Amino acid sequence: MMVRMRPILRTFWRDLSYHVLGLPATILAFTVVVAGLTLGVTASTVIVGIPLIGAVFAVFRWNARLERRRTAWALGTPVPEAYRPRHGNSLRRLRIVAGDPQSWKDLAWLAFAGSFGFVASVFAITAWATVLGTLVLPAWYWTLPNGGADFGLFRADTLGKAFLAADLALVAIPILFVLERWKTEGMVRLGRALLSPSREAALAARVQELAATRAGAVDAASAELQRIERDLHDGAQARLVALGMSLGLAEELVERDPAAAKELLAEAKLTSGHALAELRSVVRGIHPPVLADRGLDGAVQAFALGLPLPVLVEIQVPKRLPPPVESAAYFVVAETLTNVVKHAAATSATVRARHADRFLTIVIQDDGVGGADPARGTGLRGMQRRLAAFDGTLTVTSPQGGPTRVTMELPCELSSPKTSLSSETA
Amino acid sequence: MRVVLAEDLALLRDGLIRLLTAHDFDVVEAVDNGPSLLRALTTHRPDVAVVDVRLPPTFTDEGLRAAIEARAQIPGLPVLVLSQYVEQLYARELLSDRAGGVGYLLKDRVANVGQFVDGVRRVAAGGTAMDPEVVAALLARNAGNEPVQTLTPREREVLALMAEGRSNAAIAGRLVITEKAVSKHTNNIFSKLGLQASAEDNVRVLAVLAYLQE
Repeated sequence: MMVRMRPILRTFWRDLSYHVLGLPATILAFTVVVAGLTLGVTASTVIVGIPLIGAVFAVFRWNARLERRRTAWALGTPVPEAYRPRHGNSLRRLRIVAGDPQSWKDLAWLAFAGSFGFVASVFAITAWATVLGTLVLPAWYWTLPNGGADFGLFRADTLGKAFLAADLALVAIPILFVLERWKTEGMVRLGRALLSPSREAALAARVQELAATRAGAVDAASAELQRIERDLHDGAQARLVALGMSLGLAEELVERDPAAAKELLAEAKLTSGHALAELRSVVRGIHPPVLADRGLDGAVQAFALGLPLPVLVEIQVPKRLPPPVESAAYFVVAETLTNVVKHAAATSATVRARHADRFLTIVIQDDGVGGADPARGTGLRGMQRRLAAFDGTLTVTSPQGGPTRVTMELPCELSSPKTSLSSETA
Repeated sequence: MRVVLAEDLALLRDGLIRLLTAHDFDVVEAVDNGPSLLRALTTHRPDVAVVDVRLPPTFTDEGLRAAIEARAQIPGLPVLVLSQYVEQLYARELLSDRAGGVGYLLKDRVANVGQFVDGVRRVAAGGTAMDPEVVAALLARNAGNEPVQTLTPREREVLALMAEGRSNAAIAGRLVITEKAVSKHTNNIFSKLGLQASAEDNVRVLAVLAYLQE
């Protein structure tokens, strides 16, 4: 019996606290809506009212955000938020905000919460308080001014009648519970419907995001190609031209002046060595061979071996990652570790990676001085762009005095999604 | 001296066969993929194997894996691994059994025929041939290491050549100093790094490599 009671009790508490929390929240919403509408209507009659209307919308959004959190808490799942992106001067921005259906849906919810929501909260609290009071009526009915409570059909002015009232309260509990359940569920659903973006708006937001990340990926790829072209042009290609010249000259000289020809051949051999070394470094920059051979784990281990500080590498990825993800993850780890060596004054670092719930999470931490500012420098922006192409994110925490911690998250499937690691955590 | 060769590019394979044959090596079998390499190594048990890291069927580190596997079956089987690029990680794996008879060189080094052939002979004799790039990376890694910092520039040169696998006589020839001077340098290096000195070239080399890899 206890086992079945527990979820019911939990639901009861959640519904009740939704309404208790609803008291201040709905009063706030009421105030915001009434003050906002009054201000807005007044402001719209004067030309200087524009910034004021903007401020009113900003307050609406702030309040809607609070309501989103309250609803998400009651639902147990997050309530997404999506507004049309604002740009341009203040008039343009105001027009975008006013034209965004979400603004008006927000307002509708705030108005509903500020009116019916408040009544619903008050009702829930008074109803439960009454039931509770009646339940213990036998203990206090005699303190009432008229010697008892009036229940319409009878007056609870004796101990027996007070117990009768308590019995009635006992019967009222399940009825009130179910009633409250319906009401809360209805309100939460309405809240979610009004506060979260419509399918269309959600898709529009996603398209916006994809367009931005695609542009970033294209930019990054073309910059990369330009760099490779330049490296090859100035490096290996130029050396091969020189090599051809040396060999041609040697061919001419081989009979007339064998000693000079020999010298030229030695030079040619040296040049071919340099050309190879340059090609190697270009290849390493495009796709390190060890990454192709050993995957992320081996490549990061190999990279760490080349660093002047000990790096603990723990990579728990049971299968090979998709090659583009592997490559992006590798370059971001490599660049981050290079930054650790250059700026952090650290004595050691760790790289931990795991794949779970269709996410690859990599955390790089050092014991250095901290104070890394993600806003400065283009390196971090470049890394974020590289990851954004895969819907990946990069976050940096680096308080003064350290340590610095870089976390990257990338959604990705392994070649076979059924793995021991991901099912363990699922 | 009997050699097994593994290289998948026909052009390079033929070149290597010609080069080795010209220097009195007997190429008993030349293969072009990982599985055949392992079979050839275990059946012929050659005096030395010359192996390309990247081989079919996977075109990853097939050659290296086959070499390590063969050495697990035939301890100390001399293997010289060639590659278009060098990784400390792979050098570490090759050296991990501490048995010697290991080489790891860039393919570019083949152009310097004399030194390359010398490397093959050294590996066949149970010595070591590490690419200067691997050694440079190892030294760079140890640049902040206090005992290494106490070495004189000359001692560091000797240390680098020793890590490549060269004998004292070869180092003397290379630096144009007497062999006695080299052994004085090596003694200093060993005492500064706190290593057990040894008269045997191969043992010294392995000790130095192990130290640098720590």
